Amino acid sequence: MISADKLSILTNGAKYDVSCSSSGSSRKNEGGMGNGLAAGCCHSFTPDGRCISLLKILLSNDCIFNCKYCVNQASADVPRATATPDEICELVIDFYKRNYIEGLFLSSAVHISPNHTMEQLLLTVKKLRTEYGFHGYIHVKGIPRADEAIVRETALYADRMSYNIELPSEQSLKLLAPQKTKESLLLPMKSLAKEREVFKAEKRKGHFLPAGQTTQMIVGASPEKDGQILRLTESLYRANGLKRVYYSAYVPVVHNSLLPDTPGGALREHRLYQADWLLRFYGFDVEEIVPEGENLPTEYDPKCAWALRNLHLFPLEVNRAPLEMLLRVPGIGAKSAYRITEARRYTSLTFEHLKKMRVVLKRARHFITASGKFYGVENETALRGLLAAGETAKNAAQLSIFTDLQIARRETQFMLYSNAETARSALTGEL
Amino acid sequence: MIYFYDGSRAGFLTAFLAAFNDNEAIVTSSQRQLTLGQEAVFVQTNAERAKKAEARLLSFDKYCMQDLNFLLRCSDETRDQTAFEYLRLIATKKRPVRNMLAEDAVIMASNLIGKVKHEAERFRGFVRFMESASGALYAPIAPDHDICDLLVGHFRARIPNFPFVIHDVKRKKATVYDGKNVFCAPLENAEVMLSATEEAWQALWKNYFEHVNIVERERLKQQRGYLPVRYRKFMPEFHD
Repeated sequence: MISADKLSILTNGAKYDVSCSSSGSSRKNEGGMGNGLAAGCCHSFTPDGRCISLLKILLSNDCIFNCKYCVNQASADVPRATATPDEICELVIDFYKRNYIEGLFLSSAVHISPNHTMEQLLLTVKKLRTEYGFHGYIHVKGIPRADEAIVRETALYADRMSYNIELPSEQSLKLLAPQKTKESLLLPMKSLAKEREVFKAEKRKGHFLPAGQTTQMIVGASPEKDGQILRLTESLYRANGLKRVYYSAYVPVVHNSLLPDTPGGALREHRLYQADWLLRFYGFDVEEIVPEGENLPTEYDPKCAWALRNLHLFPLEVNRAPLEMLLRVPGIGAKSAYRITEARRYTSLTFEHLKKMRVVLKRARHFITASGKFYGVENETALRGLLAAGETAKNAAQLSIFTDLQIARRETQFMLYSNAETARSALTGEL
Repeated sequence: MIYFYDGSRAGFLTAFLAAFNDNEAIVTSSQRQLTLGQEAVFVQTNAERAKKAEARLLSFDKYCMQDLNFLLRCSDETRDQTAFEYLRLIATKKRPVRNMLAEDAVIMASNLIGKVKHEAERFRGFVRFMESASGALYAPIAPDHDICDLLVGHFRARIPNFPFVIHDVKRKKATVYDGKNVFCAPLENAEVMLSATEEAWQALWKNYFEHVNIVERERLKQQRGYLPVRYRKFMPEFHD
């Protein structure tokens, strides 16, 4: 059994990785323990509001790289530990059996050399799959500069792999992560994506990254603007076939003159995720979302901002608008759009119907008509104020008292058809 | 008229037939005080009539019995009436009505079904097994809805080599997997002899839970939204 001290050191080093999902793989249990759930599964939630799905742990935090933002960098004065593959395997099996976790998220600092580290990661997952008979979810981090052959073999045992880009431009990488280059991150990603395509096309036996690849970028540690981040994101989705790009608001855990002392801001992170969802599920192109000035507006979400720039397209009649336009109405998500298209086949929908169907009308009412009726605000300035005030209390506090009062009065005037946004969809945008 | 039935599925379907043509019918399985002038019938469960009703409903919508199954598991007091009105709509329209979301009965039913399914989904993650001295796994749960046996298939596929018991302490019943078969049984209290290493693994899990948290980003409200306090009773990470 792994010691408590070692576990806490290796957990502490791994926790800043934001990837948490266990979805995308429906691996079957072949006589041992565990299987994959295509939809993923959350097992617990920590006080920071994040879910525990996978056992997120480092094989070692003893690093030879010196990335300035990282808690595990070679020059940092922190306790070091390295686990054996068997210690990790036992931990996974016993946690999984008790239903604490959905699988393993195995990462590592670059210990001794990139190749040595990647070999150890491979050894661990191979053991877990073959000796321990584990068929649950496994996510493995790719180590930059490791041999392609080792990486490819790892991909035969893992459900998902990821190389973290961390910094969205070459200059920032050079400055803050001198041992990593753009190529050392993007080339293995590309080669894995290609190999996966071939594996699928030839219908080979076994698995090769059934849940694909992901990556992560730190937001707010370097000066890149949202536009640059989102363009990179779009190319990763469309050209490299990535499943997810995660954003992590910078938390100043390490003090360095090259890094800002202020956190990156949860709101900016939230806006980037909203934009990310628009790219993947709502049929938006990156140039539609990124406004002049390159940064996403903070006062309203990117879909709202797009709609305000394109007011000439609205209001839409919900009984006739095509699905792809319904998806572009602020406040209407994929679920609501689907419900509307189903329900309107049987009857002409009114606002009363929409309300009962739990379509969130707080923002949507300004952009739609239902059976010809409109309950929104037509004046553009008032509309902007209202939409901004409808956001979080923190944002509302930034407005002057005068506009606040004015908006409050208007808000009550139109309360009739408004509906409280559920925290879940606002925060995660999950479908 | 109020139609009382015994809470069983066959009982419900018998009551459904009896109340079908009554426009002011209230179908219920819970105790309630009658107000003056209200008439009540205690519907005797009749397996044959129930079967007939089921076959007829299935001919209109082949998935409607699955909907009914979820509806009757719901702890919401309106479940019987909602299920009655939902099935009556299927019978009058003579077709599936699931997507007619402008109908009150459909919205009510889909809300209740959603609640039950959502909770079952959550509990796939929230169930916590403890290992007994014999090697069997035991998990107490206290869900809002009657979902205990909906979880078995999931765990059986995952840990087929371990016998396990999922115990709904609220409804005093348990679903048991003995390594081969699954069965349900009433169970009041269970005394479990823990295995020698169980407490050490629980301690490691608590250790992990504590250290994977980013202290600088505390968001307790969000945590409560995802994992309501009432579900935490049997999760070791929330107890010292």
